Formats: sequence, C-alpha cells, structure tokens
Amino acid sequence: MSFLQLIWAEIKAVLADKTIVITVFGGVLFYSILYPLPYLNQVPTEQQVVVIDHDHSSLSRQLIRDANASPKIEVIALLGSIDEAKRWIETGRAHGLLVIPANFRRDLLLGTGVTLSYGGDASYFLIYSAVVEGLISAGLDVGKDIQRLGLLAKGNNASAVQQSLNVVKLNSIPAFNPSLGYTPYVVPGLFLLILHQTLLIGTGILGASQWKRQGYWRDVSPLKLICGRMAAFMLIYTLLSSYYVGYCYYWYDVSLQASLGQVGLLMLPFLLATSAAGIAFSSLFTRRDLPTQVLLLVSMPILFVSGFVWPLALIPDVVVAISQVVPAVPAIMAMLELNQMGASWQSIMPQWLQLWAMVAIYFGLAYWGVSKRLKADSLINGSS
Amino acid sequence: MIKALKRELAALLDDPWQLALISYIPLISIIALWLLFSAGLPRQLPVAVVDLDNSQTSRALARQLQANPVTKPISYTGIPSAEAAMKQGEVYALLVLPYGLKRDLLTAKTPIIDIRYNSQFLLVGKLLSSQLQLSMADGLKPLGELKLLAAGVPMQRVAVNLSPVNSQTTALFNSNTNYVGFLVPPVLIALLQLVAMMVFANSLNRELRWNTTKQWYALGLWKVVAAKVLFYTPLVLLHGGFMLALIYLYLGLPIAGSIAVLLIAQTLMFLAVWLMVLTIFFALKDSARVISFCTAMFAPAFAFMGVTFPVHEMPVLAQWWRVIMPTSHYIETHIAVVSYGQGLIASLPQMASYWGFLLLLIPITILAKKGFAETEDTELITLAKEQ
Repeated sequence: MSFLQLIWAEIKAVLADKTIVITVFGGVLFYSILYPLPYLNQVPTEQQVVVIDHDHSSLSRQLIRDANASPKIEVIALLGSIDEAKRWIETGRAHGLLVIPANFRRDLLLGTGVTLSYGGDASYFLIYSAVVEGLISAGLDVGKDIQRLGLLAKGNNASAVQQSLNVVKLNSIPAFNPSLGYTPYVVPGLFLLILHQTLLIGTGILGASQWKRQGYWRDVSPLKLICGRMAAFMLIYTLLSSYYVGYCYYWYDVSLQASLGQVGLLMLPFLLATSAAGIAFSSLFTRRDLPTQVLLLVSMPILFVSGFVWPLALIPDVVVAISQVVPAVPAIMAMLELNQMGASWQSIMPQWLQLWAMVAIYFGLAYWGVSKRLKADSLINGSS
Repeated sequence: MIKALKRELAALLDDPWQLALISYIPLISIIALWLLFSAGLPRQLPVAVVDLDNSQTSRALARQLQANPVTKPISYTGIPSAEAAMKQGEVYALLVLPYGLKRDLLTAKTPIIDIRYNSQFLLVGKLLSSQLQLSMADGLKPLGELKLLAAGVPMQRVAVNLSPVNSQTTALFNSNTNYVGFLVPPVLIALLQLVAMMVFANSLNRELRWNTTKQWYALGLWKVVAAKVLFYTPLVLLHGGFMLALIYLYLGLPIAGSIAVLLIAQTLMFLAVWLMVLTIFFALKDSARVISFCTAMFAPAFAFMGVTFPVHEMPVLAQWWRVIMPTSHYIETHIAVVSYGQGLIASLPQMASYWGFLLLLIPITILAKKGFAETEDTELITLAKEQ
C-alpha cells in the first residue's frame, strides 16, 4: 500500500464512520453557530433598575432622568421602600436599585455632602457592573452640575470653573477588543479548543474502533500508519481550520492582526501536535464511546486554564504547569497574542517551539502506543 | 423490580469506566474546577506603568497603584517595551503618566493620563479599568484639596466641595463580589449535568454493547428504565450534594435558603436529563453516536445559563435553546435559593417549568416500541473480542 493510498484509505475510513462524521464535521459546524449564539448581542445594555426617591425634588427627578439616559440602565419604576425594591429584584423584574435620600436637593445646595446608595444584583456580574457603572456616572454628573453652579455663583468665570472641575483627564480606552464585545472575547480561544477537542475525539474513535479488527491498518508499519493518519487528519483540519480561523473569526468580528502566513505557521504545529496526541490517546481505548466522554470531562478545565477567561496569575502554579502538556493551551495563548493583540512573531516563539516539541513527543508516544496495540491484538488473533 | 435493580448493580460492578464515573471522576473534576477559581478575588494583577514625568506627583500616583490590592504596578521605562509586554499578555493594562504632568497641574492646564486596558481578556480588563480610574482619582485628591485650601476654602468644607455627592455601592447577594460564589456553582452544575448524561447514557448503551436488549424487553421496557432511574438518580444526587457541601458548608460561601430545596431541584433536573438521554438513545440506538450527540447537546450548557451573560440580552434563538437545557431551569432555582433565600413553596412554580420535558415521553414511547434492529456488526465483533 503506497502512502497516498493509505491517506485515501484513512479519509475513506473517517467518512464511512457516521460517529466520526457527526463529531468532526457536524460538531465543528454546529458549534460554530451554537457557542457564540447567546453572546450575539455583545454588550449588555438597558438593565432594569428601580428607584426609591425620598426627596421628590427637581434635582432628584433630574438625577433619575440622567440615569435613564445612560445606555446601560433603564429606570423601570419608582418604588416606596427598599423592601419593595428587594422583592422586585428577587423576582427578577429588576437588577438594581438607586436610593435618593430625603433632603437630597436641600443638602446639596446648602453645601453639605449627600450620599447616594446604589445596589446591584451581584449574582450576575455583567449585569452588576453595567448597573453600577451607569448609576455612578449619573451620580457624578449631578455632583458636577452642583459644583459648577456653586462655583459660578461664587463669581468664578466659566473657563476656570471647567478647569477646577476636571483637574486631570483620565483617558481610559480598551485595547485589542475595542467594542468590548463578548463574542470577540470568547470566540478566538474557544474555537481553537473546539478544533482541538474534535480532532482528538475523531482520531480517538477511529483508533478505538480499529485496534481489535482486521483491516488496512494491519498491512502497514505503525510508523507509516501514524504518518498517513496525521496526513489525512491534517487535510481535513486544514479545511475546518480555514473555516474557523478564516471565515468565523471574520464573521464574529474578532480582531485580526496577524498575516495569513503567520497564522498558518502557528496552526501547523498546533494541528500536528494535536493529531499526534490524538493518535497516542486513541491507543488507550478499544471502546468507541469512551474517547468522547474522557475529552468532554477535560474540556471545561482546559478552557479555563488557557488564560483568557480567568487570569493565569490567579490559578495555582501546579495546575498551570500540568496544563502545559495540552496542545491547546500554548496554541490559544499564542493565537491571542499574535492575531488578536498584535504581538510580534518573535514574542510567540516560546509557545511555537513548545508546540513543535509536543509534535515530537506525542509522535513518539503514538508510535509506542500504536505498535503495542497492533502487536498485542495480532497475538490474540493468532491464538484464537 | 428488585431483579431489575440487581441487574443494574451487576452491570455497574462489571464496568470499570462506569464505576469511575460514579465515584472518583466527578470528585476530582469538582475539586479541579474549584482549584482553578479558588483565588476568588482577582488580586495583584500586573499593570505596566510608564512614568514619563518622573516628578514627585507622578511617583505619588504610581505608588497609589501599589496600595490598591487589585493592581501590581510594574515600571517600564518607555512606551514601546510596555506595549510589547501588553501584547504578550504579561501585563493586563498600561498606564502612562505624561511628561509635564506636575507642571501642567501647577499651571492649571488639564493633563491627560492615558489608561489602556486589555479587553481581549474582558473580565480582567474591565475590572482593571475601573480600579485604575479609582486609584488615580484617589491619588489626585490631595492635589485638589491643596488647591481648595489655597483658594481659601475652610478645612471642614474641603471634602464636601471636592465631591458633593458621595456614592455608596452595595453588591446585593454576593457582598464581596467573590468569583467563587459567582462562577463556580454554574460551572460545577454544567459538569454535573455532563456526568449525569454520561452515566445514564452508558447504562443504556451497555444493553446495546452486550446485546441484552432482548432481556430488557423480556423484563419489561419501563421496568428496566425505572430501575435505571431509581438506581442512578441517588448516585448522581450524591455528587450534587458533595458539590453543594463543598461550596456552602466547607468553603462557607453564604447561602440564604436551604440546601434541601436545592437537592429537590437537582432531582428534577436529573429526571429531565434522563428523559433527554432516553429520547436520543431510542432515536439513534448506537452507543458511540448516542454519546456524541448528547455531548453536542449538553457541552455548551454553561454559556446558556445566563450567569456570565444576561438571559434577556440573548437572541430569541438562544433563549429557545436555553429552554431545552435542564441546567438553565435549575440555575434559576439555585440562584433564587442561594441569593434570595427562596423557600420550597416559592420554588415550586420554577420547578414546574420542567413539565415540557414530559412531552419527550411521547417520542420515547414511539421509538421504543419499534424495538432494536439486529445488533450492528461492529458491536458484535467488539463483543466477541471482549469475551
């Protein structure tokens, strides 16, 4: 069997296996729509907030209008007491509350300080931060208005007033994901993980269903089989990766900073290491339903340890060190640095070399596992 | 019935993977996921500081970051090296104190302090943005005070003049905004659903693998299904209980309601999962395909729970998909019980929201009546080899 024939036989074996087709092609397509689906609207806006106004003055009404004008919150009701507001929040009708104290306007005009109280439901973080940001900025605006009035009344001129209100300008700007969108945040890393997991499952199921049976895989040397299998999966995953890293990244507005050549160069050792790891992994199984289960269990930990959902600095060092054997971990970080954050090729060299080292190590493990598997089972076949 | 239960026990003891799935695997996974988030509160996040002014004022501002528990300032001499560090993810934000900061402040010009935060890491970026602004505002306060005092404002009035409106922010229900309390329960619930799915699917698939479907029908289809439910629900519930005990009893995170209500809600969640697995099992009737299909369904459950991203901001299609996931029904009860102290009576309407899953009984009955085709070739060969 020539090498090309072997690759063809591998591809046919993959396409003939309905389970692998469902997982690899179906999974990749299905997840490309399903995973980002909840986040399509990107930024949480117009969170429902209730107001308890103990002051009922022109100024408190202005504050409520200011709050309502913020894109982040929407004032849905004026309530009489905090207990009532709490009930609204508990039943999910509102997510935050603003309490305006009695004599709010009078105290401000007299020059005594006042305290506004805000509350947000911190069971939901994104909602909480939106509510708090919206309410604080409304409160600050009203405060500034009062200061301005006071200063003008004292006879300061308007430009000086402006100056003393804003001593320093703080210019806080998001870098790399300028829209602060949720899909550009989640998609790049997550999609690499999906490629990683489906590739491992695909090779895992293929191996698990072959070891105990007769077929073309017994006609070639383990070395040739591994090379042929890697070549076949590389072909399939070049297509699938082009769809993910090419089309889907573009479609979901992920920022793209690297050149096509650089992304290709990064994907090469990632896919090679993953397929070699998949083949090595497949030699652990003879039951077709197990690879999926094992990989499903480790998916969430891999996602969280890859460093973009939750800062690596906060994860115990031991866990981070162990995670370095998973090809997806350096690959996700390298992709984010290179393509989303615009780092130079030199700066991702450590991860790139790590991926090549994985190619070598997993290839060795695959060779060991596959030759052991084929030898053990041929002995059984010989004796039976 | 006893016979059917004994049959399940024998099947379990005979299957090392299934045994692992109901014993140590969930425990290890629960502890591993908790370990990931065990820090709870983001602290000491590296921030690049470029001080181009090198004045007393700018150094005082930079020191302000040291005092903030969330930020760990790292000095860079120039903007290019700081930028490079940010692009490599070594620092999560960049603060530039401009040249002439002190002079501009003294000569009543408005200097601009630039803050760039890494929003590719959304959670960290947003947190740092607000913390950095807060630190700068605090650091600038003494300057403002000095200025007011120089302008002849009496000492007692300085604070009020600086900020006439104070704000007091209260995080309701998660008072120290701890990420363990916020992220870990939904992550673990998603995990629990996956384990439950696998355990039940394996138990059904075993009938295919060992070609015992005839025996199954002989014993009575519903009797065996009932035995599986009776057998595995308490086992999986033990893991749910372990998870709740770890978070709310051992780690002592605040819980306003009662754990018993949560366990009842979990039972209902598992029953809904069983119904879904049964439907998929009878529709596909192939062990590997059942697992693949169930995986595809349940793996993204976490995203749809609405804890990280609000439900009412999701597109309609996502909200529909959400209804199919048993975890999204459960999480509502979970948050209500944990945060708002909702009792059993108030939880009942939420628990009733699972009723739609009962409709699955119709396809299950129809598909189950069809029975099983002759066992597939591959399965028989595997079987022969295993024996």
